[in-house]
Amino acid sequence: MMSTVTGRLSQAFLLLLVMSLIGFVGIHSVGNPVYNIVNIETATAEDIRKATIALGLDQPLWRQYVLFIGNVVTGNFGTSYIYHLPAFRLVMSKLPATLELASIAMLIAAPAGTLLGLLAGRRQGKPADSAILKASVFALSIPSFWLSMMLILLGAIMTGWFPSGGRGPTVSLLGQDWSFLTLDGLRQLTLPALALAIPNIALIARLARSGTIEVESQDFTRFCRAKGLSSRRILFRHTLPNISVPIVTIVGMQFGGMLAFAVVVETIFAWPGVGKLLIDSIQLLDRPVVMATLTFVSVAFVGLNALVDLFYALLDPRVRRSA
Amino acid sequence: MKAETILALWKRPMGHGPSLPKFLLGAYMLLAIVAPLIALQNPYDPLQIYGWEASSPPGTVGTGGFMYLLGTDGLGRDIASTILYGLRISLVVSITSTAIGALVGLTAGVSAAYFGKWVDVVIMRVVDLQLSLPTILVALIAIVTLGPGIDRIILALIIVQWATYARIARGVALSEINKPYLDAARLLRLPISRIIFRHLLPNSIAPAITLIPIELGHAVALEATLSFLGLGVPIDKPSLGSAVANGFQYLLTGQYWISLFPGLALFGLIASINFVGEDIRRRLDPRSRSI
Amino acid sequence: MREDICQEPLLVVNNLTLKHRAMAGSTTILRDVSLNLQRGEILGLIGESGAGKSTLGNAILGLLPPGFERTAGAILFDGKALDGMDERQWDAIRGRRISAIFQDHTASLDPLMTVGAQLEETILATNENVSRQDARTRGVELLRRVGIPEPRERYHSYPHQFSGGQRQRVVIAIALAGTPDIIVADEPTSALDATVQKQILRLLRQLVNETQVSVILVTHDMGVISEIADRVVVMKHGEVVEQDVTSAILDTPREEYTRSLLAAVPRLRISASEDRKEAAENSDGRPSRDEMIESDATAPILLAQDITKTFAGQGLRWFRKNARKSALRDVSVRLGRGAITGIVGESGSGKSTIGRIIAGLETAGEGKLEIDGTSFDISLPGRRSGLLGQVQMIFQDPAVSLNPRMSVGETLQESVRFGSRQPGDEKPNVAVMMDRLGLPRSLLTRYPHQLSGGQKQRICIARALLASPQIIVADEPTSALDVSVQAEIVKLLKESVVEQGVSMLFISHDLALVQELCSSIYIFKEGRVEDAGPAEFIFSHSQNPYTRSLIDARPRRFTR
Repeated sequence: MMSTVTGRLSQAFLLLLVMSLIGFVGIHSVGNPVYNIVNIETATAEDIRKATIALGLDQPLWRQYVLFIGNVVTGNFGTSYIYHLPAFRLVMSKLPATLELASIAMLIAAPAGTLLGLLAGRRQGKPADSAILKASVFALSIPSFWLSMMLILLGAIMTGWFPSGGRGPTVSLLGQDWSFLTLDGLRQLTLPALALAIPNIALIARLARSGTIEVESQDFTRFCRAKGLSSRRILFRHTLPNISVPIVTIVGMQFGGMLAFAVVVETIFAWPGVGKLLIDSIQLLDRPVVMATLTFVSVAFVGLNALVDLFYALLDPRVRRSA
Repeated sequence: MKAETILALWKRPMGHGPSLPKFLLGAYMLLAIVAPLIALQNPYDPLQIYGWEASSPPGTVGTGGFMYLLGTDGLGRDIASTILYGLRISLVVSITSTAIGALVGLTAGVSAAYFGKWVDVVIMRVVDLQLSLPTILVALIAIVTLGPGIDRIILALIIVQWATYARIARGVALSEINKPYLDAARLLRLPISRIIFRHLLPNSIAPAITLIPIELGHAVALEATLSFLGLGVPIDKPSLGSAVANGFQYLLTGQYWISLFPGLALFGLIASINFVGEDIRRRLDPRSRSI
Repeated sequence: MREDICQEPLLVVNNLTLKHRAMAGSTTILRDVSLNLQRGEILGLIGESGAGKSTLGNAILGLLPPGFERTAGAILFDGKALDGMDERQWDAIRGRRISAIFQDHTASLDPLMTVGAQLEETILATNENVSRQDARTRGVELLRRVGIPEPRERYHSYPHQFSGGQRQRVVIAIALAGTPDIIVADEPTSALDATVQKQILRLLRQLVNETQVSVILVTHDMGVISEIADRVVVMKHGEVVEQDVTSAILDTPREEYTRSLLAAVPRLRISASEDRKEAAENSDGRPSRDEMIESDATAPILLAQDITKTFAGQGLRWFRKNARKSALRDVSVRLGRGAITGIVGESGSGKSTIGRIIAGLETAGEGKLEIDGTSFDISLPGRRSGLLGQVQMIFQDPAVSLNPRMSVGETLQESVRFGSRQPGDEKPNVAVMMDRLGLPRSLLTRYPHQLSGGQKQRICIARALLASPQIIVADEPTSALDVSVQAEIVKLLKESVVEQGVSMLFISHDLALVQELCSSIYIFKEGRVEDAGPAEFIFSHSQNPYTRSLIDARPRRFTR
């Protein structure tokens, strides 16, 4: 187990280094952020010079990078060019909204997907199976931005059941604002959460289906029947624990994926989360915020993978022992 | 893969004609090729656009005497024509990037497996790093770094895709390397190039081939997503993603057709690719052949 | 046979015909099969692959996969028809009245559950009015009964923490949990080493004697049948060839097919025990290895000395991949010119590893290797040391030994083209080689998946010979094949060595095969040479306890 943890850590470290370099050089090559800060119509050369010095952009690129890395080590990603707030704090302030959205989406997707997958797997080749398979291909084919817009069209504009965007009222808990504690907040959450959940339901269902088919074709399932267990007990005590290993993996990975795909969904639903912040910052060339966001999402993703590894060991005694 | 195999994949068992997804996919390809011939207008040529006809609903007959079958967008562009021109770019971008991505990834993966040692370490480090991130994030990072432009999008999509092929090809190649027929090839002291190209590669690409349609579908979706976010195809070029984005602000005021039809076209394209891919995978993977 | 023979049989199969329907049409899997099973007897079902013996076992358990259909006949258990029952009725039968043991002991147990929990759930499912506490007591008792040491302590262990033989014992314990009348045992010992196989068979016999349970023993192995079956049903292509008491089948088979099955089983020859004692006195129990090497006056074609290989420290990933490969310690092997030398061992003994090192496919840490007077540095990869290309191999599983995307002709031509001939040597002719190995020339345009297992293995032999090597390493070349095919391949190998003038290392777990082919033998155990000597010496005079235990594990019937 130690080797897995150190492996993950070194992976995370490498990831950060590469990301910071790519992001740094990349944003630099795309455009000069100064022009987004000063008023281009009225600014004099002097104004631009002052702003450049204020942002530290007069230094050579390598020195900017060294300074940046030095700051990142102490948790300082710099100050947002636009909001004039520490970039890292900005990301953190947007985090609860995104976490809330992704969690609710996964709470819908994981059980629904597992259930549909089990159903399809147990009825392999029957109409229910092929219907679920077909539906999953459709669900995975819908681009998430269009799905979000169609959900707005159907759920908000045509029926008026749900609000079309924004986060609405929040309730404070543990020093953060949350939507899921009020009925209104839940209504606000429904459409964006569905938009994130639907492709994941399909993905998890497909995985659960193939897992079920594989487990049920294994000798121990046959032996369970031969030794006289009811098919119900085999399903709940043998099949389900055995398919839970790959499902936990995909749930963990997809949760990280949701944090990333929130970029699209949050933009459309005007959900004030990390994803919307990232897109806005890219468009405004707000380098510190872009760097802080990308770094945060990547680290969160690697961290989730590490958690999944740990969970693996809890679920599978073979892994537990070799660790 | 032999030509007959590909032909056999296309034909349905028991001599039925091509299935609906295959037909649809063929139709998409055809439409994309002949788009300039059948489209009412080139929607990105300002001289062919009539601004006062903006946001006309489907079925409106315009100044030129043509009917806007699917309506016009906020700038007066014919939606049907936008879809046809957008298809061209979507397909060119995704097919090019998938083909190059597959080629690069397969070669890298099989080489990593065969040569092992530092070649393997370097290639797989990069692959692991990249696959540890969600594809959309990789695409975002790549596009932010590379900047806008169609060639940049293709490059970004190649970067996104190659790693998947590399990992699969390496995995398959490693299990093939452990099979006795490859031991037998080594025992004959065959030239390394012959071992790779005559023995290893032909037996390692089959699983990767089943990956191509899936990745093609991903590429189409990813290009559209980037364009939707304003980070993909430049705004002066047609794209299904940006066409959907153009209609976003009109959605709330009830002019649904601007987003609906380009999105529907995109959905149909990705779905037909995925169904064809599903079909291919089912036939190539003997374990799921009975399904 | 027992005295209760005249009783009503426990299970009767009457003119059973089973068909399998698939897209391609329907095939008859079982045709007009009839047999009966008495209480407390072990009935052997023997046949080669495709005989339908496993299908019959599954039909008796009600576990036929979808697509099977009974078109005639019936299975009667205790007077009631078994087929046509629904799942609920089967629940009252399976586990309580009819239970099973399968071949793969690893796959038979749920890897995520302790063996105790798996026993307990079976006891609770198959017995009424049992408390969890009682179930646990019974579970421990069952483990003790099947010979698991310290059953109370091992109760909470997971399946992967047991050895293969112990896992199969656990499976037997679970099968017994519902005190069934019948156990269907499908190849229960085929995945086990010979010594362990013997112990499991002994356990089965003992349990049958104690509990009067009946066993249907499905197997391809005449040896297993001869050891414990009371009666035998011989099957071929879904039909019953003949059935009788075991001794009659073995001594006076009526049908030609049974005779051919029996003839194909390799037999171990051991001289009278007095000889053995005498020889032991003469040799003073000294290691025989030295004697053998001294006695061989001619220079050997192959000399491997003190080869040591460890797998540790080669990176975690590789270690896991090669978990089944074994380390070697100070292994020395010598192969005489034109001779066939045998290497015998159980799984994990390192017998395959030494073969691969000699062929240049793997490196070793220490040791010397000489082929025809030239020495090679075995610490280098084979391509660099020049060792690769000197030796050809024939592998165990012909299904994966040929490139599936090359035709037979292409494969063989490649071997001719790149083989290790001296300049000026005559190129061997592919067609002539095909004739010699009894392969029709029409196969040259075929692809491997269009060939039978025996044909594929002949192609592999042809490929090895066409490269004109001095040495061939044959690693278990017959163990993936049916008995009748096995005998042909062995004959072919023997002839090839003589005709082509090659020398051969023959690696096997089967003593009788090795005796039939080899002039001298090395016995491997846990990466070391445990015993070695001329074949005659090993089988008749060796005092090595491990060698003796291997010989004793052979079915007595096929030892003479």
